[in-house]
Amino acid sequence: MISCYVTGASPRSNELIKKTRAYERGKISKKELEESFEKATETVIKAQISAGLDYVADGMLRWQDMLRPFTENLKGITVGSLRRWFNNNTFYRKPIIKDYVKREKDVVINMTHLEKLPKNLPWKAILPAPYTFVSLSENQYYRDKAEFIFKFAEVINEEIKGLAEAGFSYIQLSDPALVYEQSKPKSMKDKSALVNDALEIAVKGTTTETCLQTFFGDFSKILPEALDFPVDHLGIDLYETDFEKLKEYSFEKGVALGLVDSRSSLVEEPDELVTVAKEIIKSIYQSNMGEVFICPNCDLDFLPWEKAEEKMKVLSSATKRLREELS
Amino acid sequence: MNKLFPTQEVGSLAKPRWRIKSYRGKPLSREDINEAVHWGRKLGIENLEELVKLLSEGDSASRKRALLEWSAKYAIRIFETAGLDIVFDGEQWRSEMYEHVIRKTTGFKFLGYVKSFDYRYFNKAACIDKPKYAKSFYLDEFLFTKENTKKEIKMPFTGAYTLVDWTFDEYYEKKFSGEIMGFKRRKFEAKREFLFDLIKEVIRPEISKLIDAGAKWIQIDEPAATTNPTDEEMKLFVESFNETVKGFNCAFSLHNCYSNYEVLAKHACKLRNCSQLSLEFANRDGRQAGTGNERTGYKAIKLFEEHGFHENYGLGVVDVHTNFVEPPELVRDRILHVAKAISDPSRIYVSTDCGLRTRTWETSFRKLKNMVLGAELARKALE
Repeated sequence: MISCYVTGASPRSNELIKKTRAYERGKISKKELEESFEKATETVIKAQISAGLDYVADGMLRWQDMLRPFTENLKGITVGSLRRWFNNNTFYRKPIIKDYVKREKDVVINMTHLEKLPKNLPWKAILPAPYTFVSLSENQYYRDKAEFIFKFAEVINEEIKGLAEAGFSYIQLSDPALVYEQSKPKSMKDKSALVNDALEIAVKGTTTETCLQTFFGDFSKILPEALDFPVDHLGIDLYETDFEKLKEYSFEKGVALGLVDSRSSLVEEPDELVTVAKEIIKSIYQSNMGEVFICPNCDLDFLPWEKAEEKMKVLSSATKRLREELS
Repeated sequence: MNKLFPTQEVGSLAKPRWRIKSYRGKPLSREDINEAVHWGRKLGIENLEELVKLLSEGDSASRKRALLEWSAKYAIRIFETAGLDIVFDGEQWRSEMYEHVIRKTTGFKFLGYVKSFDYRYFNKAACIDKPKYAKSFYLDEFLFTKENTKKEIKMPFTGAYTLVDWTFDEYYEKKFSGEIMGFKRRKFEAKREFLFDLIKEVIRPEISKLIDAGAKWIQIDEPAATTNPTDEEMKLFVESFNETVKGFNCAFSLHNCYSNYEVLAKHACKLRNCSQLSLEFANRDGRQAGTGNERTGYKAIKLFEEHGFHENYGLGVVDVHTNFVEPPELVRDRILHVAKAISDPSRIYVSTDCGLRTRTWETSFRKLKNMVLGAELARKALE
C-alpha cells in the first residue's frame, strides 16, 4: 500500500501574512485575524484534497512553532526566548519548565478546525515527539531528562487519545532532535532506549496509526534500534540520510519517505522521486513490502505557499506512479 | 591603531522617519521634520535649511539620492560625536543587509515572504541562474562616507556564506540533479558551487572596487556562519571567507553574533587575513560591574584562545537588544575582565554587540557615549 500526506505545518499565504502583520501593528482586530486563519485553513485543506493526498491535516497555520501550543498551554511551562530552529534561518521560543507539568485542557484539538476537515478522508494530526520537546526545553524542575521525558510522554498519550476520539486516525510524532544531534554510537544506544520507553508511554492504549517522523538529520544514525520503536511507521528525511547506509537494513514496519524537499524551492521531477523510492523500497523490503508513505521531508512552511502547493501535487503524482509500478 | 582599546560600532543604525517616509514618497508630518531639525542641531549638521527644503519637495531620483546622503551624514556624525575612533554610515544606503545585495545582482528572483518566527517573515530569494555582477552595491556608500569623515572607516560587507544560506538554491540543485544520486551530497555540492561562483562573480569584484576607491578595512558580516554546525559546513564557511579575502591588500575582519561560539571557536584560527573577530557578548552577560571570574557573557573568549585564535577581538560590550544604557563602569569592567583573560590588552577593540538598528537614535547615542567613556576608564585603569 502506498499513500501520501504532508508532515507538518503549511506556509501562511501572502494574504494571511499581511493579516498577521496588520494584527501585530494593531490595525485589525483579533476577530478579523481569526477569520483570516479560518479562511486560510480551508484553502490548505482544499489544496491537499485537490492535489490528491490520501490523508488530510489542518495545516497548523496558527502554530507559531512546533512546540508552542504545548509551551503555552501546559501548566508548569513558560515561554522563553528565541532560539534557532536547528540549522534553519527560523526561530522558536524555548519552553522553560518551571513546575510540575500538567495538562488541564486539550492542546492540539483547541488549535484545530475539526469542522473544516473532510468527512470522506482520514485525518492526520502532527505533534512534537517527547524526545524533541524535552531536548529543546530548559528543564528547571525535573530531576533529569528521563523523568521529564516520561512526563511529557504521558501528556502526548492523553493528546493522542483525545485526537482519536475526535476522529483522527493517524498521528505523527515529529522528532528532529533525535537525528539532528551529533552523538557517539554508544550514547546513541542509550538515547534510543530512552526514546523507546517514552514512545511506549506515548502510544499506550491508543488505537490510531502512529509514525515517528525524523528530519534535519540522518535516520541511519538511529538504526537498527529504531526498527523496534513502538510505532507503526518510521519517517525518514531523504535529504539528510545516507541512502547506502539505509539500504543495509531490512524493515518490517512501514516507512514515510521524505522525498520532497521542503527546504528547497526547486520543484522536484516526479520521475526521479519514483526512481529513488523504488530503489529504497526494494532494498529495505526484501520479502514483504510494508506500508509506504510519500511525503515532504519536513514542514512545508519553509516555502512560500505557492511552492508548497506545487510540491503537494508532485507528492501525489509520484505516489500514483509508484502505485502503478509496484502493484 | 596606536591607542589602546579603540572604539567601533558594527554596522547598522536605525533609519530616521524622515528618511524612510520621504524615500518612499510619503508625506512627512511636522514631527518628522522637527526630528530632523532637532538632531541636526544636536549634531551640528551644516546647511540644515537645505535638508528642510529637500524634505518638502516632491519625489524624484535626485531627491532619493540626496536623502541617502543626508541620513548617512547624520549617522556618521552620531558616531563621531559619540567619540568613536572607527566609523561608517550606519548602513543608511541599504534597505537591509540581504535584500540590498541580492536586488543589485543578477541571477536571483524574490519568491516572497517565508516565516522567520511568530508573525515575522523575511523576503527570500531563489538563485535561478549563475549569479552575475550587475552594478556596484556598496561603492557609492563607501565614497560618500570617505568624503564625510576624517576618522578611520570600517566597511561592513554581507558575507557570501550568509547570502547563500538565506537563499533558495534552484539553479545549482537543478544543475546537479541526475549527476549525483544521493540528495544530501547533491545539495552540498550545489551549495558549494553556488557559494564560490557568488564569491568569484559578485563579492570579489565589489571588494576590488572598494579597495581601488581607498577602502582599508572591510568587515565581512556572517550572521549565518554557524547555522550548520557540522565540521563539513564549518570548513566550507572558513574556505569561503578565505577565498573572499584572498590576495587583497586590505584589512579584513569577521562579524558574527547570537551564534554557537563553541563551533566558531574551533574553526576561527583557520581564517586567513582575518585581523579581528567582532562578536556579541554583552547580550550573554550580567549587568553587575566587576572584573572577577564571574563575567558569564565572556566565557567563550577562552574557547577562542584555547583553539589558537591570536588576532584581535571586536569585543561586544554594549547589548543592542535592550534599552538599558550600560554605565561606563560596566563597560570598563567588561573590557578589563577580557584584557586580563587574554593577557594582551592591545588585542581588544571596544564594540557594540551588533548593529544598533533596532534602537532609537537617542538610546544608541547614549549607549555609544558610555561605551567611549568606559573605554577611557579602562585605559586609565591600565596606565
